[in-house]
Amino acid sequence: MDVRELKKIVEIMNQNDLTEIEIEEEGKRLRLKKAGATVTQTVVAAPAPVAMPAAPVPAAAAAGEPAAAAAIEPGHHTITAPMVGTFYRSPSPESDPYVHSGDKVKSESVVCILEAMKVMNEIKAECNGEIVKVCVENGEAVEYGQPLFIVKSA
Amino acid sequence: MFHRVLVANRGEIALRILRACREMGIDTVAVHSKADENAKYLDLADDRICIGPASSAQSYLSIPGIISAAEVTDVDAIHPGYGFLAENAEFARTCREHGIAFIGPDAETMSRLGDKATARELAMESKVPTVPGSEGLIEDEKQALEIAEKIGYPVLIKATAGGGGRGMRVAHTKMTLVNAYHQARTEAEQAFGEAGVYLEKYLERPRHVEVQIVADNHGNVIHVGERECSVQRRHQKLVEEAPSPALTDSMRRAMGRAAVKMAKAAKYSGAGTVEFLVAGKNFYFIEVNCRIQVEHPVSEMISGLDLVREQIRVAADEKLSVDQRGVKLKGHAIEVRINAEDPARDFRPSPGTITAYNAPGGPGVRVDSHVYAGYKVPPNYDSLLAKLIVHAPTRDIALDRLARALDEYVIEGVKTTIPIHQEIVRNAFFRRGDYDTGFLDEFFSV
Repeated sequence: MDVRELKKIVEIMNQNDLTEIEIEEEGKRLRLKKAGATVTQTVVAAPAPVAMPAAPVPAAAAAGEPAAAAAIEPGHHTITAPMVGTFYRSPSPESDPYVHSGDKVKSESVVCILEAMKVMNEIKAECNGEIVKVCVENGEAVEYGQPLFIVKSA
Repeated sequence: MFHRVLVANRGEIALRILRACREMGIDTVAVHSKADENAKYLDLADDRICIGPASSAQSYLSIPGIISAAEVTDVDAIHPGYGFLAENAEFARTCREHGIAFIGPDAETMSRLGDKATARELAMESKVPTVPGSEGLIEDEKQALEIAEKIGYPVLIKATAGGGGRGMRVAHTKMTLVNAYHQARTEAEQAFGEAGVYLEKYLERPRHVEVQIVADNHGNVIHVGERECSVQRRHQKLVEEAPSPALTDSMRRAMGRAAVKMAKAAKYSGAGTVEFLVAGKNFYFIEVNCRIQVEHPVSEMISGLDLVREQIRVAADEKLSVDQRGVKLKGHAIEVRINAEDPARDFRPSPGTITAYNAPGGPGVRVDSHVYAGYKVPPNYDSLLAKLIVHAPTRDIALDRLARALDEYVIEGVKTTIPIHQEIVRNAFFRRGDYDTGFLDEFFSV
């Protein structure tokens, strides 16, 4: 990655008012974080996590993107609520849950239902892997972006 | 009275509503987008819920998102604030269908008054003066030319679904009228999906004066005096004051009566604003805003009424707390809007982090604002940071107080409209009350 590319990325950050950006390709990971007017640039080899001791800016999610769950393990993926609603693990009170911990899911697999405005919305995994954690109790209200399941990527 | 109210808005008006509910002992639920999740006013709600990403279309404008949030939090009413869904009849109807009270007029009243042509017809029926023009929509070019001939040029073509100056054209001659007619229709079709236009006499440099009303479900309507809102830039108000320096007492009484008459004819309920254009000693009805307005604190300061509280009361079917005789207007109030915009660069929005913040205080100073040092102004929404309102026994003292308060105000990290207000308040014409809707254009051209 050369200086010109870096400049371009910083430009994109400024245009979109981003405070932080992370890019990963071919075993290289680049993370840029702004603190006021100063821009810190760190290039490290993946998958070492990047610590940013000097940046006082709170790590706000980029505008428009659902926030990922707090610090999940590498290789894990979070399924988040795409809407506000009531979380149900099964299609009806009598039936079995769609998924349990340890179940394998594909991106088309239905993992739960979110009820919003009397409509039952089936939520799909949208990733391949194994459910390692169910984060919400059956019947609980969830907000937009709230983690529902943790999936270990296949 | 309601037990739990959901506030379907953001920023300073969300905070204003949370405060009113807190004082009334009503539980609150604040909804927010991802972009607002760190805003501190959310901590003042009893419950908060994220309803979508930063984009307003998927959060503050999402009817399913808000209704769903209302259901999971079990509220009995929704306050829409201003902007977003505040004047969306579909939203008001959906609330009702889900057994949730909408704090505002009902969907039918809103549709009738929200459409400028039907609102105008209602004014004519109520014998409230309107700007001379077409009765209802214009059928074709020929009709436009006939009416223009009758009322005299210049004329204004306005989209019935319009707002914010879009779908609006001025024509000074027959030739320009034909073009303007088609342009306005096309623009309205594109912007609002509704090409209907009407025509009226164009008043050059009128003043914009509006009357605050509140009505309950028991047939009571009060007006809380007028607000002068002529300091506008591209139809956006920057400064509002009450009373208007342009009105005589008899005009003031006549406008108050006209506003109440309109509200009664529409069977209005809730807080609203009846807008007029004033030219010389004449006033003409233009439209009704079916919501609490940004500038409502001006009327609160001179009347001592809490308009948001009244709004919530009447939505809960209670009676207004005062009758017309109980409305006593006192002194003079001025509000300025502090926006995160750069006046030196054509009012370009200036989002970013506020690095230092110190609001003015002292006698007769009120600041309605959700911002603080460290607050990040998101680029996704309107740029209103704060409303600074001053109240004093006379207009002169209010002006001095405003100048003083503006000089005390510190906001760093983003550009704001404070410098422009500091100039306006010291402008000789403004101080004399000698200004109209052309004031700002002239002010910037020198």
